[in-house]
Parts: sequence; C-alpha cells; structure tokens
Amino acid sequence: MQTWDQKQPIYQQLADILAAQLLDGEPIEGQAMPSVRALAGRYLLNPLTVNRALQALGDEGLLENRRGLGLYVTAGARDRLKAAERERFLHTEWPRLRERLRRLGIGAEQLNWEERA
Amino acid sequence: MKPETTDSALVEARNLSVSYGAKRAVDDVSFTIPKGRVVGLLGHNGAGKTTLMKAMVGLAQPQGELTVLGLNPLKQRVQLLQSACYIPDVAILPRWARVSDLITLMSGLHPKFSADRARALLKRTSVKLSDKVKSLSKGMVAQAHLALVAAIDAQLMILDEPTLGLDVLSRKAFYEMLIDEWCDGQRSVLISTHQVEEIESLLSDVLMLNEGKLVLSISLEDMDRRFVALSHDASVAEQMAAAHPLLKYRVQGAGSMNQASLFDGEPPPHVQALGKRMRPSLVDLFVALTRKPELDRTHF
Repeated sequence: MQTWDQKQPIYQQLADILAAQLLDGEPIEGQAMPSVRALAGRYLLNPLTVNRALQALGDEGLLENRRGLGLYVTAGARDRLKAAERERFLHTEWPRLRERLRRLGIGAEQLNWEERA
Repeated sequence: MKPETTDSALVEARNLSVSYGAKRAVDDVSFTIPKGRVVGLLGHNGAGKTTLMKAMVGLAQPQGELTVLGLNPLKQRVQLLQSACYIPDVAILPRWARVSDLITLMSGLHPKFSADRARALLKRTSVKLSDKVKSLSKGMVAQAHLALVAAIDAQLMILDEPTLGLDVLSRKAFYEMLIDEWCDGQRSVLISTHQVEEIESLLSDVLMLNEGKLVLSISLEDMDRRFVALSHDASVAEQMAAAHPLLKYRVQGAGSMNQASLFDGEPPPHVQALGKRMRPSLVDLFVALTRKPELDRTHF
C-alpha cells in the first residue's frame, strides 16, 4: 500500500506526487485530470483529501476547472512546474550539494559531465 | 464532527449508553455522522465498538437518544435496514451456497438490492458467480460480502472489522472497492478496525472509544489543526516533557531528531522552537488517548 510520511499533511504529499506526474506529462497540458474517485481508489485516500490536493494544484495555477467538465491541466503547467523545481534546486539542494562537494574536496573538473562513465 | 445542517446527519447520538447488566459497554457518548463521510471507529478490544454498532442497527438496547437515518433503530428496525447495511464482525456466508444463490437470496430478501449491481461489483473481484462460498479464500469471501452489501442502495454502511484476518492485498482490494463503489459524497460508512495506520488515509473522521467512553470525535482535517507533533533531539527531551505532551515516542529516519512529542493544542512558542513540526498521526493519537491512565507516566 502507498505509505504516507509524517513530515507533511497527506494532501500535500499527494499534491507532490501528482505534480511530479504532471512534470512527466501525465496527463499532458490541456488534458483532463483523473476524477476524484479514480484518484481516491488508486491511492486509497478519502475523496476529501484528494479534493484538497487538487485544490492545492489549482491554487498553483497547474489545473483549471472547466465548468461541468472537471479539472484540466493548464497550458504552461509544465513550464511553471519546471521553473519551481529549478528554483528549489538552486536555492535548497545546490547549496547542500556544494557544501558536500567542498567537504569531500571534489572540484568541477573531477565530475563526469557526460552521460556515460 | 459537526454537520453543516442538521438534516444532513445520518446518525445522531446524544448521551447514548448501552449496558450489559452492571457493565456499561458504551458510556454516555454523543456524536453525529453527516452525509458523505468515512468514519473510523477505533478502540481496543472491549472498548465498546461492536456494541455501539449493534445499537445503531437495533441489535442492542440503548439508553439516551439515538437516531439513525431519522429512525429509531430499535422500534423501526425493518424500515432502517432498507437504507442501512451492516456487516457484523461475526458475519458468515453459508458455505454450501454458490455466489449466484446468494444474489437470488438477497434479491428476494431486500427491496433495495440490485442483482445487476452485485454482478457488476463482483466482476471487479476474482470471485465467480458459480463459485461455492466454501471454495473461496477469506479475502474473496470478504470481497463477495462487500459486493453483496454495496449492491444495496443504502445511505449508511456499518462495517465491524471487515478486514480482520485478511492479508495485505485482500485488505487493499477491499478498501479499493469501498472507496470506488460506495463513497459517492452522499453515503457514509462507519468502519471499525485495529489497522489504524492503514486506514488513516481513507477516513474523513474518527470516533475513538476507550472503555466505553468517547475520547475523540473529530474530522481528520481538524485533527491536523488541533494536535501538534514535534520531532526533536534527545537533548531537549526534558524541556519537551515539562510542557506536558500527550505522548512521547520515537520516530524513524529523522537523523538526530529521533524523538517526538505530541501536544493537544499549540505548545508554547519556546517549546515549538526546540523541535520540528510533523503531521500528527492517528496511530500516535490512538496510543496517547487510549492508554490506561496508570501507565501514563511510568514510561520514558
């Protein structure tokens, strides 16, 4: 079964999972999101929790409500997500990584920038 | 659990008690179950869960007020059971019957049972109409039972430990069917279980019984707001303890912050500053609120 950690509210964890899928193009921009019930069944969540997660994605401008049709992925959702991810990498992950590289004495020239070893 | 309007409440209990001789199995409980909720009924063995459920379907004589779907369960039981369905913890299906026989039986017994719906629900499972009950595994029997009960066009479903003794995949399949096929935003389900961790994410509300008394009745959303869990370093354990948490426990994979304290309400800011806020989990709350008082301060 899907496990939920204790660091964040469950709806936030679901919102993160769905955002990661949107970034991978699932579903692609302009397409409909799966229904609340489908998501509730898939992740074994209370539908109210699913609603809160979708609400959070809506608040971030990633989903839009088309009256009578349901929620759709907005145009530009992926770019917005990618920008947020880049921002997070540069401001949170990179300083930590840089610190670790310094501590280990690894310079840029020692890192393999190619795909293959 | 506060209903938005009174008429949306499916169950209303006020100062409800149920006694067996001198023993009060359910002791002065008051709560409401509105429409469209998934309510977990939690408590240790003997806490009064089964008795409370029995009272709700007219199988136990209560004192106080109890209204289910606007009806008195004891006096209007037949009428109530048209719109409320119940799987008791001792539920069995006749071993000699075929699943198709059970559908025929239910069609004759229950005015709101839909044989088509039951067959459609069974298609989700690996249970075949021609299967005899005695040839089914425990998990398959539970699923067949749920399919039969969910095929009743009812408002309220009461499930007393429906997943007891099932393996993890069977439990998952059971919950999937419950969420997919039953929860439509209007109907409610009351479900008792000991698998607190597993069921937490399915619930919208929780009722917690301890020795017959209702120690918690809250929506999960309000639970997140009311209770505060702080993970913290062992070095500040004493300061945390001085702020009187409900519970102290260990947490996994949080580095040096491997201890946690659970508070009812916001702890003072100087205490909050010592730790990192976490999501309070239902199982921790369950442990905190249903421990015997005399055990409370001997640990840690």
